[in-house]
Amino acid sequence: MDCVLDGNCVKAFGKAIHALSRIGDELWLDPMVRGLALRSVNSAHSAYACFLFSPLFFQQYNLGSVSEEGNETIKCKLVIKSVLPLFRCLSSIERNVKRCQISISAPCDRVMIRFFCRHGITKTHNVRFQESEALQAVFASHLCPNVLKAPARLLGDMVTHFPVSQEEITLSMTSLRVSLRNYFEGAKDHIKTMHTEISLHPEEFDYFQVGVDSDITFCLKELRGLLAFAESHCLPVSVHSSATGSCVVCRPVCFSVEDMVLEATVVLATLIDSEIRGPSQPTETPVPTTPRCVHAATLPVGSCEARSNIPHDITAVTELVTSSQDSPIINPPALMQLLPQTDIPNEFCVPDAACPSTSTTPASTVICSLLFRALSSDEDDDSCAAGLNVLACYSDGEETMEDYPRSFLLGEVTQDALHILTFCDVAQSRSK
Amino acid sequence: MKFRGKIVDVACLNHFSRVITTISKLTKMCVLRLTPDNLFFVLSEKVANGGVSMWCELSQANFFDEYQMEGVSPEDNEICLEVTPENLSRALKTVQSAKSVKVKLTKKHCPCLTIAAELPTLSSISRVVTHDVPVDVIPRRLWHEFIEPSVPDFDVSIYLPPLKTMKNVVDRMKNLSNFLVIEANLNGEMNLKIETDLVSVTTHFKDLGNPPWGDDSSQDGGPSQGRDPDSMAEARVDIRRLQQFLMGQQVNPSKAMCNIVHQRILHLILLHEDVSLQYFIPAVA
Repeated sequence: MDCVLDGNCVKAFGKAIHALSRIGDELWLDPMVRGLALRSVNSAHSAYACFLFSPLFFQQYNLGSVSEEGNETIKCKLVIKSVLPLFRCLSSIERNVKRCQISISAPCDRVMIRFFCRHGITKTHNVRFQESEALQAVFASHLCPNVLKAPARLLGDMVTHFPVSQEEITLSMTSLRVSLRNYFEGAKDHIKTMHTEISLHPEEFDYFQVGVDSDITFCLKELRGLLAFAESHCLPVSVHSSATGSCVVCRPVCFSVEDMVLEATVVLATLIDSEIRGPSQPTETPVPTTPRCVHAATLPVGSCEARSNIPHDITAVTELVTSSQDSPIINPPALMQLLPQTDIPNEFCVPDAACPSTSTTPASTVICSLLFRALSSDEDDDSCAAGLNVLACYSDGEETMEDYPRSFLLGEVTQDALHILTFCDVAQSRSK
Repeated sequence: MKFRGKIVDVACLNHFSRVITTISKLTKMCVLRLTPDNLFFVLSEKVANGGVSMWCELSQANFFDEYQMEGVSPEDNEICLEVTPENLSRALKTVQSAKSVKVKLTKKHCPCLTIAAELPTLSSISRVVTHDVPVDVIPRRLWHEFIEPSVPDFDVSIYLPPLKTMKNVVDRMKNLSNFLVIEANLNGEMNLKIETDLVSVTTHFKDLGNPPWGDDSSQDGGPSQGRDPDSMAEARVDIRRLQQFLMGQQVNPSKAMCNIVHQRILHLILLHEDVSLQYFIPAVA
């Protein structure tokens, strides 16, 4: 793959890398016919970002010769720490760099990034990569009942009200208003921290569709990168989400921006807390529990909340991940990887919400990892791809096999092993 | 107990935020006393603070357009709350462009000072931002700890040099020593001194002027009577406390002065138009 960006675009490219660096430690460079995709996933697999630059973004875009294996070129996994410094100082890039060339050639394992700067200076950087299939979060956004499109600065302005250290926020949507508030876990934090809530009127959005009243909680830190990107490009941000259900399957939320030459998407897993309910939330959403779903919900998993990018938690998460996978309690087909979490005493209460506590289970908040699938045969549809051994679809009560709302596949196909992250309801898996 | 105040003027909001930010730089937690006419931020002297204490008085009419309060009881028409000023400061910082800001005492998950702001938007309907700052209500039996401190029987009272200059000097001195001696006399001279085994540094300020306490002072027969104008009164203080005080100042006060009780206390007073701030730093041996 060989492509050339001109000066103006290098800055946008750099901004994308900044945004991706907020998500995870690794960056997948994925040159495709429809453009160059940059992807990143956080270690807990609860956040995914993808920036897709179409060939029009580049001055030149060559995929190079078709490789022997098929129609795909090399897929590279880079460590963000080695790429980010190259694009760190965007203002100096803007001033000095006239062109940037990025190329990957098959025989060597390096990505070459070459900056052609003013005064005849050329800076060449060779960054080693690992060949690796990238993950792609599959998100059926056209099936989401709740869609918001916010003008460029709106969300950015909203999040300034929250301290930079705020981890998670809750976005509530009803047909009358949209509100953002900060989220706490644990009774101790709850009492002494400052609660902030911002309420917006639907009129402020370019597009407002709330099919189902919902509250979703997601990690704010991971989103800030995309919001900064959107603001700098004055692009509106679309938010696609589903209602929270009382089933334990998580429903991610997707933030995206696009213009003619690029698309950026961030998919974040949401917290499930059966006690977070706005006043308008129906007490019992009809849950299309398939038998396995119910089974999954009652898995006696010791749980611990997964956090992205928090060093002290990562080891805990990774340990528990393996243990939950090895746990004999979990039946392979209904493997629900609930990232472990310490049991929170049942004192969590939300002001003026009549908490319809679901039964006797203590309030437990769970972040599910997103479901991914390999990119092996991605390009066309976000439906189940052939070739994956295990596909899982979760249907929302609709029995049709054609469209499975909110289905999230998962599977990370590495060259070595098929690694199943999460899925549910294998009965509905199908092969095409 | 009820409290409800509303700030509508941008300049007042700005000023109010800056006062609170200054307080937040001085102390992590303090007591807010609300009376029908004033707000007081009080830090009482405790070993944990290193013996410093603070008294900041704001006249509510200068900030609030609307101000209603009902104290604990008709005889004790006051409210005493323990609050973390940094939370308040953060909350106010984000709403500087608001059309109006209401501050109310509420009970949510715990007693809170709720800051509710209406932010202007392009559409006709404003955005509402609410910050709930948790507070602790101080019971009446403890109120005696938070009364206005009396001006001590000082030996010298002198106007301070420009705070920025003083801050620069103190910042650099902090690198050399943990304690600083501040001395002044009635001739308008002040010295800041540090002394270590290796080096001693003194910065001299002249022609500062001495405030005329005269009848205004609360103690009898002013200390300046019969005192040799050249004789210095000094106090040796922890330099970090002084630095903390100087760091937090956001606005140049109309008057800045200090009273020194020889080898006992350094009493700093800042007067703005509508806010007065007093800070007491005990002297160490």
